[in-house]
Amino acid sequence: MRKLILTLVILALLVSMAVFVQAQDMAMPDFIQHSDCEVDLTGETITIYHFGDISGAYAFITQPLLAGLADAIAYYNAHGGVCGAMLATDNRDTGGDPAQTQAHYDYYSSLDPKPSAVLLYASGDAELLRSQVEEDGIVSLISAGSVEGLYGEDGQTPGWIYATNPLYADQLGSFCEFVAADPMGVYGEEPVIGYISWPGAFGQAAFTPETIAYCGEQGVTVLETPEIFLPTDTDISGQVLNLVDAGATILYTNTLASGPFLVAKTVVDLGLEEDVQLAGVNWALDTSVALLSRTALGSDGLPAVNGIVGSLPFRWWSETSEPGVAFVREQAAANERSLPTQNIAYLLGFSTVDLYTELYIQTVNRLGSLDAVDGAALKETLDGISYSPLGLFTADWQGGELRAVPTNRMAMMMFLNATMDGPATSGDDALKIPNDDGTTIYVPILVPLTEFAPAPDLRPGGE
Amino acid sequence: MAANIRPAGVFDTQYEQDISLNRTRSDKWWTYGVFAALLLIPLLTVDGPLGLSIIPSFWIGLIVRIAIYAIAVQGLNILMGYTGQISLGHAAFMGVGAYSAALIARNFDLPFWIVVPLAAMFTGLVGLLFGLPSLRVKGFYLAMATLAAQFIIPWVLRYPLEPLTNGSRPLEVPDPTFFGISFAPQAAMYYIIIPLAVLLFLAARNIIRTRIGRAFISVRDNDLAAELLGINVFSYKLQAFFLSSLYAGIAGALWAFDTQSLSIDKFQLNLSIEFLAMLVIGGAGFPLGAIFGVTFVNLLSQYIIPSLSTTLKVILPVLLPFIGIANIEAALSPILFGLAIAIFLVIEPRGIAYRWEILKIAWKIRPYSY
Amino acid sequence: MSAVINFYDNNKPLINKVLSVALLLAILIFLLPIIAEQKPSRMVQSTITGLLVGSVYSLIALGIVIINKASGVFNFAHGLMMLFGAMIFYTFFSSANVNPLAAGLMAFFTVFIVLTMNGLADLRDTRRLAIGLVVGLILTGLMSLPGRDLQFVRAIIGGLVGSVLVGLCVERFAIRPLIGQPLFASVLMTLAVSEFLLGVTQMTWGSVELPLQIFAWLDGTGIPRNIVWEAETLLGGDVRLRTDLLLVLILALLSFGAFVLFFRYTSVGLAMRATAENQQLAQSVGLRVRFILAVAWGIAALLATIGGVLQGGATSLSLNMPLLALRAFPAVLLGGLESIGGALVGGLVIGLVQEWANLLFPGTQAGTELAPYLVLMIVLVIRPDGLFGEKRIERI
Repeated sequence: MRKLILTLVILALLVSMAVFVQAQDMAMPDFIQHSDCEVDLTGETITIYHFGDISGAYAFITQPLLAGLADAIAYYNAHGGVCGAMLATDNRDTGGDPAQTQAHYDYYSSLDPKPSAVLLYASGDAELLRSQVEEDGIVSLISAGSVEGLYGEDGQTPGWIYATNPLYADQLGSFCEFVAADPMGVYGEEPVIGYISWPGAFGQAAFTPETIAYCGEQGVTVLETPEIFLPTDTDISGQVLNLVDAGATILYTNTLASGPFLVAKTVVDLGLEEDVQLAGVNWALDTSVALLSRTALGSDGLPAVNGIVGSLPFRWWSETSEPGVAFVREQAAANERSLPTQNIAYLLGFSTVDLYTELYIQTVNRLGSLDAVDGAALKETLDGISYSPLGLFTADWQGGELRAVPTNRMAMMMFLNATMDGPATSGDDALKIPNDDGTTIYVPILVPLTEFAPAPDLRPGGE
Repeated sequence: MAANIRPAGVFDTQYEQDISLNRTRSDKWWTYGVFAALLLIPLLTVDGPLGLSIIPSFWIGLIVRIAIYAIAVQGLNILMGYTGQISLGHAAFMGVGAYSAALIARNFDLPFWIVVPLAAMFTGLVGLLFGLPSLRVKGFYLAMATLAAQFIIPWVLRYPLEPLTNGSRPLEVPDPTFFGISFAPQAAMYYIIIPLAVLLFLAARNIIRTRIGRAFISVRDNDLAAELLGINVFSYKLQAFFLSSLYAGIAGALWAFDTQSLSIDKFQLNLSIEFLAMLVIGGAGFPLGAIFGVTFVNLLSQYIIPSLSTTLKVILPVLLPFIGIANIEAALSPILFGLAIAIFLVIEPRGIAYRWEILKIAWKIRPYSY
Repeated sequence: MSAVINFYDNNKPLINKVLSVALLLAILIFLLPIIAEQKPSRMVQSTITGLLVGSVYSLIALGIVIINKASGVFNFAHGLMMLFGAMIFYTFFSSANVNPLAAGLMAFFTVFIVLTMNGLADLRDTRRLAIGLVVGLILTGLMSLPGRDLQFVRAIIGGLVGSVLVGLCVERFAIRPLIGQPLFASVLMTLAVSEFLLGVTQMTWGSVELPLQIFAWLDGTGIPRNIVWEAETLLGGDVRLRTDLLLVLILALLSFGAFVLFFRYTSVGLAMRATAENQQLAQSVGLRVRFILAVAWGIAALLATIGGVLQGGATSLSLNMPLLALRAFPAVLLGGLESIGGALVGGLVIGLVQEWANLLFPGTQAGTELAPYLVLMIVLVIRPDGLFGEKRIERI
């Protein structure tokens, strides 16, 4: 039964996407465009060292990430690896505990030979290890991070950690630009953003004085008092009402999985669907959010998160006209990955492996052998790289000026209609797939609203 | 949970013997020997002056972390093991130490050796404040009062003090300086932290022999009887809270200078519970218990579980084909950790230090059984 | 220092009274202007939400109190027992075709554990064996009922069996081996159990958040999901009542009532109270303390499951749920350890305080991180035995 649903969902997505995904100008002649190998590395092994919160609160993201890494490595190894060298992973679980992060890092950094690169996951980990990776000369990749993790407390000291998504603060900045331009005509004359999020490094990463000031310049007010809730909260109507009473017309959340879902559900419960718009960080537009929302329907009969706007700095599952996306979809289907696994993190896993491959090819080409590759050499490559892994996003850190890829775009989460040719307008015409747990699955689609463009640089201390 | 377990027939014949820190000469040599061996370790790593790679260099980081935690757990031991007052807020006190050290160092440009004692004293005073409920409550209720500290202190650090502490954002800590020399490299920190940890361990061991320590123990064993003997129970409880927080404060300050990046998320309830676990595993009431417990838990989570996981990751999918591989990957470390602690508790509920004492006795009186 | 303490000792009651009154007055004076600024509708709304949310805290608090009363152990595993029980409930609730073999295994293992509560020797009694066999068969039948119409029957029986199994297994394999050992060891054992259950949960169900739709039938009955009281003129805004949370409150109160009756009128309940008073005395008058301890763990696991299911129904099932139990800790003490009614009041008060603080001090997490613990500290200082706890004479 589950497989049948999976096939149906994938079919539905495939058929539907051709219609309303706009062709993008970043088209690639071929989606995997690695540099040519000048050195044969057959017999060597390149290990991707990764440590993240596999068993803790962020497992909804980390487990698909591991799945993506595993599937991608299997595929690349079966197709020649990195100029003949085989890829491998070494995953360690931090459980969300900084002490564990530190311990695992110590272990990795003392291996012989010392790893040249590690793959980080949590913004808190990046903040903790920032000075240490620099000291040890280990270059690090992370999907998205906070200002402090990537640039230090003064916001102007680029470190050794490179993020493949825009800074959380910059994401909120580019959302404000979007609100000011208001192409959909929904945000009104005086838009007011209320920030509602989790406590901690990740949840509070976008709420910076620079972002608030920048949004103000755009004519978008950000309320000075953010609201904070916990992943365990049963009811956050108090927090939402506080923001609405203070005049918020938009709720922006820097959370993932149950976070955006809870905000959307509360808005529906309070009958505020007409009065406030929902928005969030790139993680808010994720399959996990849409799936959770299937049991909380809005007054239009669609899941409560229908219409949430957020950053989508990379290609999404629905953009099948991209050969890279089509390729990852095929891989996910071939490995029988479930719908919850087909999320942001699985894409990230695949593109990370592709980026690693290119990174090593370029570096080895420059140095002539794998043994000569160290963290500093990889960092030099990263500084100069301009490469699009599988066409999913463009890894370009502006000649080493930046530590987070600045390209961003806005998208809206909607749900597929019954004829599979566009977003549903109400629950009646939505595609409903019965699930074997008795619930109904609505198929999420992400509709890009803007083209890829650089997000504003909202680090402290600039200009 | 007697701290001194002796085989039958071993008596102190002189007062000096009874109150000595190291009862026998071999005790003394053991202590100094281990200390000397610890000091040698950095010389035997790749980064050492001799360039020998006898010992992997991550041992340095591991030992430093064990030492810092051991100081914190030793503090908990004074409160819980000696005085019998449960604390669920020890991590928060460590946080107070870390943040006060960071803030003093950032704002007043004082050298390291002044900052640490200042931070520790301040933490001790905060601990005294949260020890006040012990005036009226004890046992389970007191555990709850310390739990309140565990939530209130991080809250104060995060919100009202945000302009100072950066709130949810990380706080950078300046390099530790010692007479103008920076001690930022880990090997240098090692030579500050290890002697300090040994010193604090000896101090904790020494406390038992003093008037205060004996009063602590009598409060633990029977507070009513202690009161009748003329011991001011409340005053001693407060002293225990102060000392315990002092240790936590030192540990926190050292942690701050060692990692140089602080986040409030570090000092949450799970760390307090972890301290509790380390102490009980090591043996509450034994000075050595803190060191044993911290070492055991660190080795468990750093070596034993990862290496077991690697094997089980291969075996389990074959044995249990109906469970997804991703699920197994996530589930292994909590299952193994839970099992290890459970099995350990069933085998030795009084802690490693207790077993150690038994072993020592068995060695002393061999070949007889008692 | 000691002079101050002696002065305090000599005038304890008076000083305590004066201090308490002064403290309460100070808090009132501090809060009044902030309260005056609020819209009345928001105050009413926060009160309602607080009471609704607090009912789950009460259930959690009761579970923790029962274990603590019976054995003095502080149960850190309660949160995981909530999640684990709710996950079992979810499995039976959502799958239309339960494998009878699996259900049978679970049912008979539970029967086995229950029968051998006092030791394996009890198995020699053929009458017991026969009853066990019949009960096991009935349970298996109920748990493997097919189809969606009977999902509640299936899930309730499945959840009951599952939670009893978990509770008794924890007691048998983790707590019982530590009888006679220091209390710390038992407390730590519950932590180990918590970690272990976390792993088992992840292995069985993965890390996905699952929706538990126990209130979906409401949509068919015409009962609105929110009851709206339009009080624009009276209070300056609408007041809403979430129907699902109202049901949670009612169900929580019902379970509470059931357990109160159990403790007051059944012999096992009375024996449990006696054991809680004094284990050795209870044993000397012929009560089987080991049996009582097992029953206490079974009941606590059952309460945990009820709490987990209700909480999961109101939100969703996720690995974060165990953290909720930590937030019920203040409720445990607020009511007083000895009092079952106190656990109820404690939970509701914590819910109220939380929502009010969220309203009055926005953006500071005061509701979840500060206010409950401040209230706890104040109660501890003014009334060390909680609001409804029995005064103990042994005081220093």
